[in-house]
Amino acid sequence: MGFYLSIALKNVFRQKKRSFTLGINYAVVTFILVLLFAFSQGASQNITTNLVRSSAGHITISGSYTVAGRVYQGVRRYPDIAAEASAVFGKGVTVIPRYVVRSSLYYNGISKRLEFTGVDTHSDSGIQGQLRFLSGSWDAFLSADNAVVLPKDVATYFGFGLEDEVVIATRTRFGAFNTGTLKIKGIYETDNFFIQSLVLCRFPFLQTLDLAEADTASSLYLYFDDPKQLAQKRDALASALSGKGFEATKPADASAAVNAVSSASPSYEMDASGRDRIRLTLSTIDEAVGLVRTVTAAVNAIGALIALIMLFIIAISIFINLRMTINERLREIGTMRTIGVGAGGITSLFVFENVFLTLLFSLIGVAAALVVVGIFGFLVRLPFGGAVALFLDNGHLVLVPRISDIAVIVAVITGFSALFSFFPARYGGRIRPVEALTRVF
Amino acid sequence: MNRLLRRIIVPLALAAAVAVPPAFAAPTQNDPAAAKIVSGWESKLNVEGVDLSTLFTLVQKKTGETDRVLRFQTFRRDSTDMYTIIFQYPDSEKGKGYLRRGDDLYFYIPSTREFVYRNRKDNIGSTDARTDLFGRQNTLAQYFVTSAGTATVSKWECDVVRLDAKVPDVSYPVQKWYVRKSDGLPVKAENFSVSETILATFYYIDYKALGNGKFIFTKLLAVNNLEKGQQTFITNDNIAVAAIPDYTFTKAYLEEKSR
Repeated sequence: MGFYLSIALKNVFRQKKRSFTLGINYAVVTFILVLLFAFSQGASQNITTNLVRSSAGHITISGSYTVAGRVYQGVRRYPDIAAEASAVFGKGVTVIPRYVVRSSLYYNGISKRLEFTGVDTHSDSGIQGQLRFLSGSWDAFLSADNAVVLPKDVATYFGFGLEDEVVIATRTRFGAFNTGTLKIKGIYETDNFFIQSLVLCRFPFLQTLDLAEADTASSLYLYFDDPKQLAQKRDALASALSGKGFEATKPADASAAVNAVSSASPSYEMDASGRDRIRLTLSTIDEAVGLVRTVTAAVNAIGALIALIMLFIIAISIFINLRMTINERLREIGTMRTIGVGAGGITSLFVFENVFLTLLFSLIGVAAALVVVGIFGFLVRLPFGGAVALFLDNGHLVLVPRISDIAVIVAVITGFSALFSFFPARYGGRIRPVEALTRVF
Repeated sequence: MNRLLRRIIVPLALAAAVAVPPAFAAPTQNDPAAAKIVSGWESKLNVEGVDLSTLFTLVQKKTGETDRVLRFQTFRRDSTDMYTIIFQYPDSEKGKGYLRRGDDLYFYIPSTREFVYRNRKDNIGSTDARTDLFGRQNTLAQYFVTSAGTATVSKWECDVVRLDAKVPDVSYPVQKWYVRKSDGLPVKAENFSVSETILATFYYIDYKALGNGKFIFTKLLAVNNLEKGQQTFITNDNIAVAAIPDYTFTKAYLEEKSR
């Protein structure tokens, strides 16, 4: 076998032009697939990381509560929930409340509807590291109860400057309008897609503006020192909360998880149960980004389909190429058969030639893809704005090539090549020696 | 003066805005004189005893934008506190509608055939006109009322009544109504937020007498005080007091009319 392998390896380089023409196809397919898988893996990781850094926890608790038949969005008795989480998980968990209000901002005759996010500055300082202040600062934000920091786009739209005062008007959770005055303490930019449009206020300000009770938050984010086995952790917490009078459930599907994570007041619904109750939805980050994973899986599937079409074209090339090679090397086949090489040996020789060719050029494709990954990951910085920010980390496109993905891609392409070279190779092996030595093409 | 404004008034105003005063707890009882004025105008504007159908046209004006026109038919039965609103114009709104039965208000969306439960003071078609403008008023059930002196609006001498919400389920928790002394009809209503920022002002420009001492407004101007230059002009035509079938005040009727 070793003999055949060494001959096959040498034969790869006998007809360099033909080998290159066929091999470049393998390289291109490998290159595309490695980049595609790296992109989808990177997108999935980046979205998860950015979500966790901005607007979701490892477990996000959202919900609604009923008072006198009227349903209100939000998490009631959130300090009790935080205490219960600490009781269940000890010091390994950090609980952060958020308050979200969607409202209009009025300034100099211009208005715009925005999402205002209230952060509890005592416990929720993680978002600070995501902001690059163009003017103002986080410390200035902490200095006033009615402080607000805005994304650059919003500030530009209104023509805001530091210390400007703006009116916010919202329909509260009960229906009555309320207004407040915000003071601009910072203008920022960020490459985190999920923070790009957030207008950050102080938690108590928004809670009061919305006329919410002091123990009400829009949602709670739970962060674990060890964010593994989140589903089991969620089940444990849901069980503990149910024991404390909450109706704790998990989202029915990925779409429900996304809705739960992005919920905000107000909503006007009626509850026919006839009792006051607090309903909670506990979503893990894996469920919240489940839709993203579905999308990236679809992207991968489309990429794989394109690769399959390319491979089919390559299969035809292999077939034609190998038949031509066999015809050109009839004397060689005939000579080998006369000195005792069996049909299987000839078949193996040609199959091995193609396998080596595929391996060699696939690895070249992998290397080229890794170079591109390196260039985008370390050298090329893309602009932050727009949806492209979903895929950026600090301005760099996040591409995460995994060894397992690369191994599977190379193995599949090599296997494919072996399969489609087998049939013309078997034809070559079955030619009788006398025919091989006497046929002239 | 500027210094005074900056150092004292603005911080006080800010503190008031941030602290959000407990508007719902402000007065705890009605001023009898004010309650009498309120009952007086409600007895004129609430049309118990007859069914009322009218065609409203709303023209919304915004600075720098072309005027937006909405037209809808309303059916109103104050004796049972019900009304139905069906949009007729423009085509994008056609088929949408509201159904109010007591405290419950539903908004019908024909594209999804859904009834969405809404706050009973929903703004119609994103204009400055609220749905409660088109139904029976029940001010004393929702607000504590107090007298706030007198004022002249246009050429009319008016009593001013301040309304403070008893419950937060109202659009404007603080209101000031200016009521003509001559006939007891309101001519102006100022609407404030919980923190007492003025949000909208309604001017009742003209009324039509329906008989038996009952009236309905035929021209109303709603001015948005937060968005300068935005206002909605409402006119009311084809007013009829013929009996309306009960079926008109059902969800099925809205569904049927949207097809």
